[in-house]
Amino acid sequence: MLTLFKARSVITMNDSLPRASAVLVRDGVVLEVGEEATMAPWLRGQDYVVDDQFADKIICPGFIDPHLHPSMAAVLLPMEFITAMRWKLPWGEVEPVTTEAAFDQRMATLVAEKDPQQPLFIWGYHQLWHGAMSKTRIESIAGRRPTVVWHRSFHELYMNSSAMEMVGVVAEDIKPGMQINVERGHFYEGGLGYAINRLNPWILAPDKYAAGLQRLKQVVHHGGHTSIGDLATGMFNFSAEAEALSQYLEGDDVPFRTRLVAHGTVLTKGGVPPTQGPELAEALQQRNSHRLHFGRHIKLFSDGAFFSQLAQLQQPGYIDGHSGEWLTTPEILEQHIRAYWHAGYQIHVHVTGDLGLQLTLDILQKMQDEKPRFNHGFTLEHFGFSTPEQIRQIKALGAQVSANVYYLHELSDSYSQSGIGYERASQMARLGSCFNAGINTTVHSDFTMAPAEPLNSMWVAVNRVNHAGDVMGATECLTPHQALQAITINAAHVIGMADITGSIRSGKRADFTVLDQDPLTCDPMSLRDIGISATVFEGKVFPLS
Amino acid sequence: MTYPSPTQIPVTLIAGYLGAGKTTLVNKLLNSKKLPANTAVLVNDFGDINIDEQLIKNDSQVDNVIGLANGCICCSIADDLTAALEQVRASGVERVILECSGVAEPAKARQQCYYPGFYPQACIVLVDAQAHDQRCDDKYVGVLARAQVQQADLLVVTKTALNSQFQLVALQPSVAVEDAGCLDLVLGWQAQDFAPDVHGDEQQPHFAAKTWRITETVSSDAVRAYLLGQPQSLQRVKGYLQTHEGIVEVQQVGRQIEIHARPQLIKGSQELGLVFIGYRGEELPQQAPLF
Repeated sequence: MLTLFKARSVITMNDSLPRASAVLVRDGVVLEVGEEATMAPWLRGQDYVVDDQFADKIICPGFIDPHLHPSMAAVLLPMEFITAMRWKLPWGEVEPVTTEAAFDQRMATLVAEKDPQQPLFIWGYHQLWHGAMSKTRIESIAGRRPTVVWHRSFHELYMNSSAMEMVGVVAEDIKPGMQINVERGHFYEGGLGYAINRLNPWILAPDKYAAGLQRLKQVVHHGGHTSIGDLATGMFNFSAEAEALSQYLEGDDVPFRTRLVAHGTVLTKGGVPPTQGPELAEALQQRNSHRLHFGRHIKLFSDGAFFSQLAQLQQPGYIDGHSGEWLTTPEILEQHIRAYWHAGYQIHVHVTGDLGLQLTLDILQKMQDEKPRFNHGFTLEHFGFSTPEQIRQIKALGAQVSANVYYLHELSDSYSQSGIGYERASQMARLGSCFNAGINTTVHSDFTMAPAEPLNSMWVAVNRVNHAGDVMGATECLTPHQALQAITINAAHVIGMADITGSIRSGKRADFTVLDQDPLTCDPMSLRDIGISATVFEGKVFPLS
Repeated sequence: MTYPSPTQIPVTLIAGYLGAGKTTLVNKLLNSKKLPANTAVLVNDFGDINIDEQLIKNDSQVDNVIGLANGCICCSIADDLTAALEQVRASGVERVILECSGVAEPAKARQQCYYPGFYPQACIVLVDAQAHDQRCDDKYVGVLARAQVQQADLLVVTKTALNSQFQLVALQPSVAVEDAGCLDLVLGWQAQDFAPDVHGDEQQPHFAAKTWRITETVSSDAVRAYLLGQPQSLQRVKGYLQTHEGIVEVQQVGRQIEIHARPQLIKGSQELGLVFIGYRGEELPQQAPLF
């Protein structure tokens, strides 16, 4: 059976035929995109249906988020969100909460509405908007209901007395000097580990985790994705994660496929030499199923977390003089990269600061000197700070960029005040330069670091408006067409799936995202508000109300 | 099973950049028979850990723990220090030796050891005599390599045979890894800034150090006379002084005192002074030495 989808317009992201009005699909594969009139030879003597439910809609290639973390999201998504930024979630839009009073009010609503027998987990608190948090403040609203308030950064949390009793915090164990303040119920850095070790029975309980993955599935669908990249499979535990993913992210009701990219340092943990990494990675492909694919991809790490100001910076560094951190010893990173480079892998390296980026580019230069490779797909992940000179190097070395452009929206204002100064803060996510240089460039959410909404990432990349409303680094803005490339065909190249998805053309899988408005002609400031009416995964329609 | 009311467990950190010899030192400790009973040695992984078979308790390797015949354990932490600390605490361990990652900053690593039930006893930083100077100028890890030295409680210089000219200009207690007594110093080192209310084990000697900054111009003979007048319990003295003949390096081990001219070594006055190392903090000079 053939299906002929009609649309107000089809945006193909194939430059040879940018627009069309119909797509003909058989067995989940596009036979032809174009005009109905020219499709007659396919239809002659065949059974076919005309599906015109999208006749007044815009069909785009299915959106792709090439870098998120399903396992981490599964831990977070069962929690309640109270955040300073907007999060569009399938079970309701989280409106920004930007004052102390509004935070307390929202917490009170949750206390009243949620099952009183269950502890309350809240995520998204940030002192900049929500004022000082404390045990007493939580108790003034939640009383004896065990309640945990998690900081937006994940690096600290607060508990009320009942929560501390519930998880077994022993006050006598806590001595001055520890990163715990029992009086305030505050656990941070090392002290956070103490809290998490005790919270694990609640947050990692199998039923919670399963529910979290179910929610993740909804979030991915809701964002309009038909493909995603899990960019550190195994971050908690390889076999447990792989089993959970195959249970919840495989099957006819799952409207997307996942490129699984193994966490390289976890893969060889326990003292396995990096040279054996490729062999272990190869074995993972035996787990592949229709929607879940390990390919010849590997994830490695250079410098520290962007949200914690631990990115490694070149001179002049941070305003307060602190330095970032290395997630991997530079020599060891080089050993890992060498092993996978020579084995022909596509290597994805987490880089956040311009020094972390430089280290990675210098290693890539060495690899090119040792064994020149073309079309190797080496990808710089996150890409917080960079310099114009590095853009040239990236191009010359044949690497590509996958950027968390949302940093610019949420952090550029505060980083220009207390971090790195206005000039560099306004040039985070230097994406216009990447496009001008002809570097294959995509954007990602690193969910839950940013909302898993490609239209939101597109909105930031096109407008470069930060949360304070200022345009930051206007010359780095992408055009709507470039930004749509970023979340479709360019992302497909980064996760190694450009042969099957990322654009609409004859021979590719029928993966579509169906929009209410045209993202290439609408007011750019309304991009993130465009309604998504459905996704189509391999020809099957998955409606979104 | 319950254990007696928990006293805080001391943690000795072994830090230093990749290749500085942390694992070699850990292997030495594990095989030395000097480890006090009920010590847990936490390492990142067992990859290069090498323990004499006779010292390993038969069939004692489960998951991430190797049991030793003397009641100690060696435990791999695999990136989750807090989980490993919980695990060793539940097993009744009395002290911990922690091998840090090569990119760990001692100050941050020390902070992590203020985990409930634990305290950092000392941070030992290993310095590779062959690679250190060059590493300090490295654009990626220069800042880190310098910070590791600055944040150390005790420096252990390794690979001195490969660079006998190496001079670590830092006014901090230091010892060469080949020196007799190095392992005792490492095990017994007590950071100056932390005096816990409870000592885990009074049988163990606790080393201490006292640093005095001395910027005046002094006479070598007076220095020698002063050092000879110090109590026998004083283990070592090192430092740099401005004398009438120029800058000198002072080294004392036991009763042997060496004073050598080091004209090019010191650039500013911040490195001038003497470090005294001994068993008992109270026997170290409590006032600035007068020569």
